[in-house]
Amino acid sequence: MDNNFLVIENISKSFGDNKVLENINLNISKSEFFGLLGSSGSGKTTLLRILGGFEKPDTGRVILDGMDITNLEPFDRPLNYMFQSYALFPHLNVFNNLAFGIKENFTQKEIEINVRNIAELLSIEHLLNRRIKQLSGGEQQRVALGRCLIKKPKLLLLDEPLAALDKKLRSKTQLELTTLQKKLKITFVFVTHDQEEAMSLSDRMAIMKNGLILECSSPEEIYENPKSLYTANFIGIANIIEIYKKDENFYSDDLGINFKLNKELKNTKTNILLRPEKIKIQSINNLKTSSFNSFSGEILEKSYLGSFTRYEIKIKNMIISVLDQNFNSNSNYNFPKGEKVICTWESESIKALED
Amino acid sequence: MKNKLFEKYFVFSPYFWLVLFFFIPLAIIFKISISVSEWGMPPYQDIFLFDNGFKINTTFENYVYIFSDYYYIGSFVNSLILALISTFFCLLIGFPLAFYIATSNIRLRNILLVLVVIPFWSSFLLRVYAWKIILQNNGILNVILLNLGIISEPLQLLYNQYAVIMGIVYTYLPLMILPLYGYLNKFDLNLIEASKDLGLNRIKTFFKVILPLSVPGIVAGSLLVFIPVVGEFIIPEMLGGSDRLYYGKILWEEFFVNRNWPGASALAFSGIIILVLPIVIFQIIYSRWSQKNEI
Repeated sequence: MDNNFLVIENISKSFGDNKVLENINLNISKSEFFGLLGSSGSGKTTLLRILGGFEKPDTGRVILDGMDITNLEPFDRPLNYMFQSYALFPHLNVFNNLAFGIKENFTQKEIEINVRNIAELLSIEHLLNRRIKQLSGGEQQRVALGRCLIKKPKLLLLDEPLAALDKKLRSKTQLELTTLQKKLKITFVFVTHDQEEAMSLSDRMAIMKNGLILECSSPEEIYENPKSLYTANFIGIANIIEIYKKDENFYSDDLGINFKLNKELKNTKTNILLRPEKIKIQSINNLKTSSFNSFSGEILEKSYLGSFTRYEIKIKNMIISVLDQNFNSNSNYNFPKGEKVICTWESESIKALED
Repeated sequence: MKNKLFEKYFVFSPYFWLVLFFFIPLAIIFKISISVSEWGMPPYQDIFLFDNGFKINTTFENYVYIFSDYYYIGSFVNSLILALISTFFCLLIGFPLAFYIATSNIRLRNILLVLVVIPFWSSFLLRVYAWKIILQNNGILNVILLNLGIISEPLQLLYNQYAVIMGIVYTYLPLMILPLYGYLNKFDLNLIEASKDLGLNRIKTFFKVILPLSVPGIVAGSLLVFIPVVGEFIIPEMLGGSDRLYYGKILWEEFFVNRNWPGASALAFSGIIILVLPIVIFQIIYSRWSQKNEI
């Protein structure tokens, strides 16, 4: 796949003394669904606005499909931007909102055909005569999407595309958005602060913090093998344990147990990540504690989440989170609060973090 | 219960105000306008006579008089044209200013708003008088132009309709800027970005997005300038010449020079009706339109 469809090269941007982006480099492929994930103030929206042409970078270039677009005005760029607020025109109805960007270059008949097609694609044909204020949030989102897609952009930028929707609608729209993107094969770059949204939508995603890209990879890779402590904590639930080399094995003072790793570590002292669903939880009667990769502790808190139960287990100085899948509808499989349990995990589930 | 009574009074207080300071004076003016004029004090006869039994003593002669003489109608037309031109220039200057203020950052915005309002802190008469000093034959502007060698003899800048228009635009500009700012302040700037993103350049974005969405502010500001300018008396009196007569000036002369109170009242009353009726009709049509368009 052409990895150089969208090239972001050495982009830096400051607002006054505030450095918002520092030397950002990214390569995005054609037809890729790419996510920029970060908390507020990470610079993700500024980066997206630079791509849209609403901000000029202090340094660096943006190259789209072989063309340097860094200094082009928004109206000259072959891409479109979907705003978080949708920014639909309140003085126009749905039809005219959809037709807004093609009125210039098309005849009345072509406009009509194009609007009908895009409305059909997004199943909003019945809304064409409505005014914007008469639409629900989900309908507005479709109109905003349609208004961009009707222009057949090379690249679609989406700022928090699902943030304004309620939770149930969000997961439905998530699925529709990925299906649509795969069907149209348009390159999507979107910004979100919601890690679940980033994971479910992205082919690849970049984690941003303080104007830097910490990691850029597939959601699976970022979840399973995060490089940094920040990413490990930011994506999903993380148990971070500090360990150091002691004899043949590694030892944690906080837990008072030995860890056996299946590969050597660069440093003698390091943080490891143990995801809560990788830990197996068993009744203390079933098993004896082994000398490594297991511990016994007391259940401090428990919350039943339907498909999973989340336990907070206290052991020595630490509280470890464990997600236990509810295989059986028999409630006896749930451990009560205060019960002593044994937790075990595989050596390969332990991931060492670089920093 | 006391509170209820207070609330009632409070809700109706604008109406009390309207009745006391608008409808009663208007009724008095109407009464005088249909009175028969005479030499004396006051210079008109009562409309109800009781000496030989009850008799109503009214006339529409005054209306016939002012409408049959183009002197009066012409002055009103002049004032309407003056108000139209002044409103247009206020809009032309006020809109970009209001837009700039509304879109600048909060600190600059407050400074600019104060600058817009500052002229109100000094006397209106003084400010108009200052223009006389600037524009007169040996005034600052002429002296500068002479010294720069752009002109060889002083220009007649004062005492013509252009000086009047300039003075009115200068004086009424804040009344245009403030309501416009009020609307533009709420303007979602993403709409402008969205329009550009969809391929419309700055000029097209202005006409397709910014202008249609600013209509309420434009209407509010224009009415605020247009209506008082029609009756404006002081600025044409101080900066204007004899090239054009305006409604306010004629009204003043009719009252205080000719002492024709009934005629002047008829002129004032007709002016209000001619001005208010179209505006009321316009407001009704406009509010229906804006409801339909949800602006």
